[in-house]
Amino acid sequence: MAVSPLIGQLIEALRCLPGVGPRSAQRMAYHLLERDRNGARQLSVVLQEAADQIGHCSQCRTLTEKALCEICASPRRERAQLCVVETPTDVEALEQATAFGGVYFVLMGHLSPLDGIGPEDIGLDILARRLREGEIRELILATNPTVEGEATAHYIAEMAAPLGIKVTRIAHGVPVGGELEYVDTSTLSHAFEGRRDI
Amino acid sequence: MTSSEQARRRRLVPAFVLHTRPYRNTSLILDVFTEAHGRAGIVARGARAGKRARSGLLQAFQPLLLSWSGRGELGTLTGVEAAGRALVPKGRRLYSGLYINELVVRFLHRDDPHPELFAHYREALRALAGDEDEEIAIRRFEVQLLQEMGYGLIVDHEARSGEAIEADRRYAYQLEAGPVYLRDGDAQADNVTVVSGATLLALRDGRLEGEQVRREARRLLRQLIAHHLGGRPVQSRLLFTAASYTE
Repeated sequence: MAVSPLIGQLIEALRCLPGVGPRSAQRMAYHLLERDRNGARQLSVVLQEAADQIGHCSQCRTLTEKALCEICASPRRERAQLCVVETPTDVEALEQATAFGGVYFVLMGHLSPLDGIGPEDIGLDILARRLREGEIRELILATNPTVEGEATAHYIAEMAAPLGIKVTRIAHGVPVGGELEYVDTSTLSHAFEGRRDI
Repeated sequence: MTSSEQARRRRLVPAFVLHTRPYRNTSLILDVFTEAHGRAGIVARGARAGKRARSGLLQAFQPLLLSWSGRGELGTLTGVEAAGRALVPKGRRLYSGLYINELVVRFLHRDDPHPELFAHYREALRALAGDEDEEIAIRRFEVQLLQEMGYGLIVDHEARSGEAIEADRRYAYQLEAGPVYLRDGDAQADNVTVVSGATLLALRDGRLEGEQVRREARRLLRQLIAHHLGGRPVQSRLLFTAASYTE
C-alpha cells in the first residue's frame, strides 16, 4: 500500500530514534495520527523547543536549556567535591543511587584513540581550567569501568596530580545479590584487589 | 544450513578484543584479533544489558576463546569464555596497551591470519601488564609488527654493501631501503633518519641500553610507522602528553 508523502516523511523521521525500525516507526506514526493528535502536537512543540534551546551547562557540560544546570546553580551543593562522569544519564543514576552532595562534570564520552576522540573532544581543557581555579578539593572519577573509561580516569588523575587535588576512583566489584561463581574473571580480580578492612 | 555456512562456524578460537563500539540498543560490534583468522568483526547481540550481558568479558586485553558464525563482513558471536587472567596494563602503561591495539587495527586487514604476530601481541601485553620495561616491550612489538607486515626493518647489515653494522658508525636509515653509511647531506634528505650503529644493534638484540639509544630507536620506529601508515597520525600518542594542561 502506498502511503501519502507526508505520512511517509513522518515514518522516516521517527526512524531516527534508537531501536526503531520501519515496522515500529509505522506503528508509531499511525498511533499518533489515529488515536492521539493532541499527544502528537504536544510532542512536536516540545521536541522543537528542546532541539532549539537545550545546550550545555557552562560549568559541567551536562544538557540544559539554562546557562547553568539545576545542580551547578544550587546553593546547597558542595563545590569542593567534583564527580566526573561520562554521560548525563550517569548523573541521573548517581543522583538516584547516592547521597552525593557535590557537583558533576560530564565528559559526554570517553577518550578513545581508535575513534579519534582525544582530550579536547571530551572537554578536558575546560576541566583543567576548573581544576586550576583552586575551588576543588576532591575529584571523584566515575567513568565506566571499561578500558577506555579507565584510560580516561587515569588521564584526568594525571592532570590533577600537579595541583595537589585528592583524586579517588569509584570501586568496582561484585554486584549486590550476585554469586561469585557467576561473576566474570576481570570483575572478580578487581573486587579481590580492591578488598578492604571491615 | 548449507555446507559452506557450516564451514564458517568458528569454535573457541583464541582471541583478544581490540575495540568495541555500541550497536543498536544493547549490542556491541567487536573488532577482534584472533590467532587463527587474524582480525575479524563480530556482533555480540544483547551484550550490553540484561541476562546476556557479557561486556565484562568482552574487554580489551582479556584473553578469550571466541566462537562465532556467519559469512561476509560481520560474524555473530555464539560463545565467549575467558582464557586466563586479563592482561590489563596498570596506570600510565594502559596508554601503551591502547597504542599497540591501535597499531594492530591500523596495520592488519580483516581475515588476514598472522598467528605469529598474535603470539607477539600476547607477549607484549604480558610484558606491559607485568613490570617489564615498557619501552623495550613497545619497541620489540613495533619491530615484530613491521616484520610481519613485510616492511622488515634492516638492523644487521648496511643496505648497499651488505657489510655488518658497526656499533660506533653513523647510518642514514632510508625508510624504504634500510640503513646506509651516512654521507654529507644525507641527514637533510626526505624519508631518512640518522641512527647510530649501536641503536640498530640494540634493536636487533631487543635490549635498548642508554638514553641515546632509546631516543634514536623511538624516533626511527615512529618515522617508519608513520611512513607505512601514511597520512593519519597514530591517535594514542596524544595520551602520552597528559597533564600538559595543568603543568
